[in-house]
Amino acid sequence: MSSISLLIDKLNSYLGKFVSFATILMALIMFAVVVLRYGFNVGWIAMQESITYLHAAVFLMGAAYTYQHDAHVRVDVFYRRFSARNKTLINLIGTLFFMLPTSVFITWACYDYVVESWKLKEASMEPGGLPFIYILKSFLLVFSLSLFLQAVSELIKHSLALITNEVSA
Amino acid sequence: MEWLALVLFVAVCAALLFGYPVALTLAGVSLIFAGLGIVTNTFDASYMLTVPNRLFGIVNNTTLIAVPLFVFMGVVLEKAKIAEDLLISMSTLMGRFRIGLGFSVVIVGMLLAASTGIVGATVVTMGLLSLPTMLKRGYSPQLATGTICATGTLGQIIPPSIALVLLGDVLGNAYQKAQLDMGIFSPDSVSVGDLFVGALVPGLVLVLMYLTYLIFVGIFHSNHVPESGQTNEHGSVLSLLIALLPPLLLIIAVLGSILFGFATPTEAAGVGAVGALILAVTKRALNVDNLKHIMRETTKVTSMVFLILIGASIFSLVFRGFGGEELLKGFFSDLPGGMFSAVFIVMLIIFLLGFILDFIEITFVVVPIVAPILITLGADPLWLGIMIAINLQTSFLTPPFGFALFYLRGVASEVIKTEQIYRGVMPFIGIQLLLLIIIAAFPELVTWLPDLL
Amino acid sequence: TEEQAQDQPLQQQIYDWKLVTSWPKNFPGLGRAPETFAKYVNEMSGGRLTITVYGAGELVPGFEVFNAVSSGSIEMGHAGAYYWKGKIPAAPIFSAIPFGMNANEMSAWLHYGGGLELWRELYKPFGVIPFAGGSTGVQMAGWFKKEIKSIDDLQGLKMRMPGLGGEVLKQVGALPVTLTGGEIFSSLQSGAIDATEWVGPYNDKTFGLHKAATIYYTSGWHEPGTTLEFIVNESAYTSLPDDLQKIIEVATRAVNQDMLDEYTNANFLAMQQLIEEHGVQVKTLPEDVMVALRQATDEVIAQKRAEDPMFEKIYAAYDTFFEGVKAYHTLSEQAYYENR
Ligand code: NA
Ligand code: NA
Repeated sequence: MSSISLLIDKLNSYLGKFVSFATILMALIMFAVVVLRYGFNVGWIAMQESITYLHAAVFLMGAAYTYQHDAHVRVDVFYRRFSARNKTLINLIGTLFFMLPTSVFITWACYDYVVESWKLKEASMEPGGLPFIYILKSFLLVFSLSLFLQAVSELIKHSLALITNEVSA
Repeated sequence: MEWLALVLFVAVCAALLFGYPVALTLAGVSLIFAGLGIVTNTFDASYMLTVPNRLFGIVNNTTLIAVPLFVFMGVVLEKAKIAEDLLISMSTLMGRFRIGLGFSVVIVGMLLAASTGIVGATVVTMGLLSLPTMLKRGYSPQLATGTICATGTLGQIIPPSIALVLLGDVLGNAYQKAQLDMGIFSPDSVSVGDLFVGALVPGLVLVLMYLTYLIFVGIFHSNHVPESGQTNEHGSVLSLLIALLPPLLLIIAVLGSILFGFATPTEAAGVGAVGALILAVTKRALNVDNLKHIMRETTKVTSMVFLILIGASIFSLVFRGFGGEELLKGFFSDLPGGMFSAVFIVMLIIFLLGFILDFIEITFVVVPIVAPILITLGADPLWLGIMIAINLQTSFLTPPFGFALFYLRGVASEVIKTEQIYRGVMPFIGIQLLLLIIIAAFPELVTWLPDLL
Repeated sequence: TEEQAQDQPLQQQIYDWKLVTSWPKNFPGLGRAPETFAKYVNEMSGGRLTITVYGAGELVPGFEVFNAVSSGSIEMGHAGAYYWKGKIPAAPIFSAIPFGMNANEMSAWLHYGGGLELWRELYKPFGVIPFAGGSTGVQMAGWFKKEIKSIDDLQGLKMRMPGLGGEVLKQVGALPVTLTGGEIFSSLQSGAIDATEWVGPYNDKTFGLHKAATIYYTSGWHEPGTTLEFIVNESAYTSLPDDLQKIIEVATRAVNQDMLDEYTNANFLAMQQLIEEHGVQVKTLPEDVMVALRQATDEVIAQKRAEDPMFEKIYAAYDTFFEGVKAYHTLSEQAYYENR
């Protein structure tokens, strides 16, 4: 069980670190767009749109990685003072009733939506825009699936932690 | 079944208190309610099928691209230790005055706020650098911690600011909605850029109020400040100018390119991010490990913000599905006293919510619901936006859960009692509330500069 | 969703439909049409078919209207066909073709020249039935910060212009820029862009564009009579009894004309105010610019015809009708415009 969790964590960690490169790319491309447009009067809408793709990749594919690092903000008024065991319990319940259903629901709801876009090889509606809307839409599924996997991993970790804790107590 | 919308809201607030990540709690509780509603035939299931469309709307929202870029810029500046240089050179120069160090902290805080928009970093930097010195020089712990916490939150209100980007996006939509609901087609639109410009004067007024407060304490409560300045210190004006150069260049690059029309706020964020990178390179503060850290931090903060946006989008869909919007509209339009009492109540609610919620949650969950109603009742959207921004900024300071307090507590020595920090920020919270009243009385403070441009 | 009205002696079904739009709720002209439509339908059906209108972003974002109606999560939409260009390359023909037909001619083609049948054929694979949903009339070329004296002034001109018009503009050397609705005004005001098109005097004045730029160029060569659309989910439509289907059809025809009437009235009033009260200068684009734009339009359309068989098929029909009606209108409308 814990090896599955380990594998998922590794996968999402790679994914998060991989898309983190998109942050600096976004900054550089945006800078280039401004310099080219105002300095040289040239520009391509495809270039503008590429930033949207990078941006979407960062926040969608980085979500599970962010969860791993406990960087999704919590209202920690009471949480801070809870015992480690209670924290684990809350995370177990939250993962089971909030994170898991949310990721399953988004996957289910987005599946047809993304497939439809692939069938049409949907392109940008802007003049000279990128013809990869179907790939952009697919990021939604990568997001929900990586979040789902992370939920599974967290469930395994939290359950194991509670069990071993009980044994030692 | 409109009351179910209120039950949903209360349930979300209650669930949040358990401390599970906000974004997933918002989404999860809303989904559970929608499911129960569908089973009991009180909720139209087809609402939930619009989720992919709504999520893709978030993906396609180009205004919000400014968020990761400003975050990136902030993290780079933190790594480049711009604040450190500035604080040291300014405080040695001004150290000969009794309240010189306090002044330095406020002014450096203002400059940092104008070059970036991240609260945590500023508080931590100031807390590490100036708090020990302030205490050593004889500032009371209350005054020292209060000044640092308050100054650290200036980044929220002084543009560029992530809070203003998020608010601008939400308010822009709310304004359009409200105008058209009224059938009065006022030609004004409100954008992130407008909010940036509108926030400049109130931000500077706030800085002046902080400085005035320091002078006031220096004169009337002189036991809180050193008995005399440090006459043995002779900082050089030149070293101050050298330290001032990087932040000033960034401020000119970012705010200048917005004000003078070289770039939209989103584009300016890109300019700022690359500008910060160049500064970091010239300061030799950038290496492969640093860069990795910067990129990963940016990814985490960005994902955190946008997952909340996704959760809030699901929440507002379900809230609307239960008829919640109509319910609130009815409540606010029946309020005696019209717009002002409605704004007062909303400000009070936001202030109170600010004790437990973060500015991002309030912006995404509360503002989209109340703003169109308030604007319909006659509130100027720009003015309302700045009022909300100042109010949200205050939430960083309100004990016991203000973020600025956490950050400072994390770096302050154990000698300082938590109560001292709490007591220290009280006057500054008072100043913030005073500013709210001033802006309520003189909306021109917000609207004057945008009208001029 | 459907629910049974229990106290009716006859088992009459009540249909409760949602209609999503690409515009903010009650947006002048464009956003008023779906409201009028809903009101007509609700009244004509005696409450048997009630339609609730949602503005852009309330349920789904403006550009997601087609997807939502196609998937069946929403029964109806009101939008412009050119928004679906990314998934249906031929769709823009049913909203606006640069230097193409005006409102009157488009409506005639759709309802008497076989246009509507082609439109339905185009949307059929998506389970969506289109109806003509109004027209803005001839638009304006847009708001410019500086005068356009010759085609050289278009080189590197940063202009917000979506759709086929944007492609044509790019072809002649300008720089089409994409901006969100909220960014357009402030970007033009600050000079981040040099020019933007929007709709016509009615909407442009509402948007406040005259506060950001003073030169207003005519004519709206890129959108000479933009047609809007009502789209209905096919299975939702076929589930309706015949009389309710007819009510929808008749109400769309009424609103199709009503929107044009609203625009004609409001546009001339707004133009008067823009010129007299706000000192806006209305200018005509120079002839060499028009020649270049026309030529570029031919190139862009030739390319689209080569790329997409449906575009070729529909455009051929459009062009045949257009050539005929243009010849006649030169003798009638145009001759009269010059005489009166
Ligand atoms: Na700031
Ligand atoms: Na237009």
